[in-house]
Amino acid sequence: MSKLFRPWRDHSFQLLALALAIAAFALSAVIFLRAELEHRFSVSTAEALGGDLVLASSRTPEPEQLAQLAELRVSQIIDFSTVLVHDDTLLLVSARAVDKNYPLYGKIQLADNRFADEYTQEHGPAPGELWVADQVIDRLKISVGTALTVGNKSLKISAIIRQLPDQNAGFYSMNPRIVLNSADLAATGVMGPGTRIRQQTVVAAEHSSIARISLELDLNLRPDQTLETVDDAALRSMGPLRQLSLWANLAVLLISLLCGAAIYLATSQRVRRRAKLAGLLRSFGASRYQVMTRLLGWEFLAVLPAVIVGGALGIGLISGAMGSGNSNAATTIIAATPFEWLTALLAPLLLWLAFALPRLSALVRVPAIEVLRQREQGSLLSTNIELLAALSAPVLLAGLLTDSLGELGKVLGLIAALGVLLPALLWPLIKGLDLASARLSLPARLAIRRLSRRPALTLPLLVSLTLAMTVLTLAGQTGSELLKDWRTRLPSQAPNHFVLNLFDRDMPVFEQWLKQHEALAQPLYPVVRGRLSTINGVPVREAVTKEKKSSQRHLNRDLILTEASTLPASNQINSGQWHGITTVNASPTKPTQHEVSVEQEIANRLGLKLGDKLEFVTSRGMLSTTITSLREVDWNSFEPNFYFIFASNELANEDITWITSFWLPDGDGARLAELLHELPHITLLDVKTLLDKAQDIIAQASQASALLGALLMFSALLVLAAGLLGGQQQRGRDNALLRALGGQQQLIKRILWIEFLCLSGSAALGATIISLLALYPLNERLFQQGLSLSPWQALPLVLALIVTFCGLLASRKALQQPALSLLRSHSS
Amino acid sequence: MPQQATPLLEVSNIAKQVQGPEGELTLLEGIDFTLSRGESLAITGPSGSGKTTLLGLLAGLDTPTKGEIRLNSSAFSALSEDQRASQRGATCAFVFQEFHLVADMNVLENVMLPLELAGREKPAAIAKDWIERVGLSHRIRHFPATLSGGEQQRVALARAFAVQPRLLFADEPTGSLDHANGKRIIDLLFELNEHSGAALVLVTHDPQLASLCQHHLELHEGKIINKTFADKNLQDKSVIEKHIQKSSNT
Repeated sequence: MSKLFRPWRDHSFQLLALALAIAAFALSAVIFLRAELEHRFSVSTAEALGGDLVLASSRTPEPEQLAQLAELRVSQIIDFSTVLVHDDTLLLVSARAVDKNYPLYGKIQLADNRFADEYTQEHGPAPGELWVADQVIDRLKISVGTALTVGNKSLKISAIIRQLPDQNAGFYSMNPRIVLNSADLAATGVMGPGTRIRQQTVVAAEHSSIARISLELDLNLRPDQTLETVDDAALRSMGPLRQLSLWANLAVLLISLLCGAAIYLATSQRVRRRAKLAGLLRSFGASRYQVMTRLLGWEFLAVLPAVIVGGALGIGLISGAMGSGNSNAATTIIAATPFEWLTALLAPLLLWLAFALPRLSALVRVPAIEVLRQREQGSLLSTNIELLAALSAPVLLAGLLTDSLGELGKVLGLIAALGVLLPALLWPLIKGLDLASARLSLPARLAIRRLSRRPALTLPLLVSLTLAMTVLTLAGQTGSELLKDWRTRLPSQAPNHFVLNLFDRDMPVFEQWLKQHEALAQPLYPVVRGRLSTINGVPVREAVTKEKKSSQRHLNRDLILTEASTLPASNQINSGQWHGITTVNASPTKPTQHEVSVEQEIANRLGLKLGDKLEFVTSRGMLSTTITSLREVDWNSFEPNFYFIFASNELANEDITWITSFWLPDGDGARLAELLHELPHITLLDVKTLLDKAQDIIAQASQASALLGALLMFSALLVLAAGLLGGQQQRGRDNALLRALGGQQQLIKRILWIEFLCLSGSAALGATIISLLALYPLNERLFQQGLSLSPWQALPLVLALIVTFCGLLASRKALQQPALSLLRSHSS
Repeated sequence: MPQQATPLLEVSNIAKQVQGPEGELTLLEGIDFTLSRGESLAITGPSGSGKTTLLGLLAGLDTPTKGEIRLNSSAFSALSEDQRASQRGATCAFVFQEFHLVADMNVLENVMLPLELAGREKPAAIAKDWIERVGLSHRIRHFPATLSGGEQQRVALARAFAVQPRLLFADEPTGSLDHANGKRIIDLLFELNEHSGAALVLVTHDPQLASLCQHHLELHEGKIINKTFADKNLQDKSVIEKHIQKSSNT
């Protein structure tokens, strides 16, 4: 057992162990952070989808299909349109009949009256009860407790729906929603032959079961059926969580690199200390195998406690940090897959194997003559194998941990290439300084010689510092860009209400109301309801291929059409050109009329492409147009978003209403009641709950991002410490000799200043160049834009000053090393 | 008849105590002697007797806890660390057992280093001259790692004498060398020292080497157990002659 602790007596081993502990800490934190994010992704996606698997159809599934799901938790949801009647008022609504298992995930948010605070409910309405959306209350001028007739059945309104967990944020359906118990459905009599319904069989199960059942069901799907699982859901590819996931992957890579560099530097120092012992063993006739088992055998076991402690701290950190916002975080970590546990343990050991072992194995190659030599031998210098191992380890780790090597390929390639090229780039600079130093002052000459004539000490430190500065610059810039991007998407004053059905004549009242209550409104969009009738002259039902039939729901209902002269901020053109933009080569006679921009996703579903001619049926007749651009829409933007945006004045002859969104400061519901009282025909949607949820995600993502940034900073500082401490012994000897030869403290201080300034200045120069080169592919990947300059690019310079300052602080011991030590060195 | 030499180094009843795990530990006690220019003193004793501690105190690398050391009639041990370093650079030179050349400086740069530190003019020319005197002109651009132990110690001698010290400290100068190389170094050391007229303080285990010096202090457990100081009026010419004669015989 004592052998296990013996290496710990050596300072260089302590440094190596610290580097490994921090690597284990950072890597396990990142691995479990990813697991936590994955978990939250799945929960959010499953909640939005309603379950882990959704079998949607236009009629009841086959008994065989239901039998396949018999062992699982299943909920049946039936969506249909119906008309509510109250007094003489009719209202078309989207109805949902739910069974006792609804909802499988998440909770329903309800309120007891129109402007009351919401509360949550874990199941649907009881038989005989009806839950309705705010708009039903507004439009029918009723209140909770009123009995409404749905078909033939009278149901009593028992609550107001604020949000269903699987409520889609899209706005193509504007009919108010009602929810009833499916036990009442038959009694309503609305489900007659020919009634259009959408039946969803929603399943909750483990991921492995879902994959199996999905395959089984897929074999016998009816033409009217579609199958969607959490893995298919598009939510994963959207929003800040995706960026955070990519950012976490990049952080894993960079932390691996930094910890690897620290491990390498610490090991180098250890090898230098142990070389004499290895030579001594060899001089006693020890074989290479004996040297290996004696010197390296216990080394491996001795690093394990560091790995375990570091890993445990990392897990604890994530558990604490993420758990503060979500009490389930600890459960997630315990529930992490065995693969994740294994990776968390093996990843730091892999770093040790790659960065320390090849270096340590140099001890085996130490010849017996080393005992007689004063200097470091060539056999202890880096070999190609070491370089290869050091470069391949982060690649292996990134591949193992992130599954997205392809996405990070450019950045990884660039860093690896520069890691190899850096010494070649920076070394001539240092050597050039040496040549030019003949005319410099004595301290400058001595400082530059220390750097330029000790490549074994200077180069690894220079490369590590350059990488550390690069990483911190990249982390700082991309991290702050991410936060800025997220804050831009959802500012604190993001619209929390939507208003529809505004007419021209309502505008003065509406604007006055906005002003009175300090509400901030988004632009107004004209709205026309229309149904797509032909694509390139072919009736839409024939034009849409069989495999696109899943898009029937887009065809069977009125679509919201709008017009705009400028592209909304939350939209981005994927192909074609926005209305009115003409190229240099374009014909001057190019018509600017009859153009429409189509949302990319619906274009894909309906098989639409640029140049296709579309016809819509509206209340005024036919509306013909040509697709001139396809757009990507940020549905999380909380601004009005549209599938079809026509060129300006295209809708001038249609029956137009207006839609907009606005932010209303917190306050009582009476303000909204006042607006509804003055404009009773408008539709008012409160999306505050949805907004809060999205902002909560942003907050969590920001928190995780800050955590990653802190881990990166920690790793980079470790590299710095390892590098500085590695050269400390030599620096101490140099200073003692200078003092013995009559050098004063001031001179030695000056030498140290210049030494650290040259070292950190060269690293800062290298880091600035690399970060500028790396930012291009990184920005392209994360933000879909090229290089953008920012104050972060000045960070290497600031870091250079910090490194110099820290170097001087760390060298205090070396500065104070008594010259007397030179007399005692032979006896120590 | 030689004149009475002015004391260069005056050591008055110095002691050195340090705080050890078991309380105060006395490393040196009751050391008292004077040394003039051109004289040589050998300090001998078994390991742990306080030789190195005494050398450190004499060279101003450390300060005594009691007593006083005067260099050139000024209180050397009472000066600040920087003042002692400055005085050392102007007056003293060192030859270490392990040479202590700067590994990343070539021979010329190593010899130039103390000259540059002392702000001497034309350091390169002086250094080249001394390198030539120790017979290493052909190795002037070589780095220490490419030199043998004997060659490294010759560079160290050139470095020590280049500043024309008035007091030279040599700490086991042959301790890291074989017999033949050690002998050559001692010959060179005494030859150069004779020409420079510096006082020499030599720490050694070797009684034969100690016998080459005029004066002898033998230490045991931090105290002087044998103090042989030759009559200064005799000005130890005989000892030097004896050494030179001995060298030529061997």
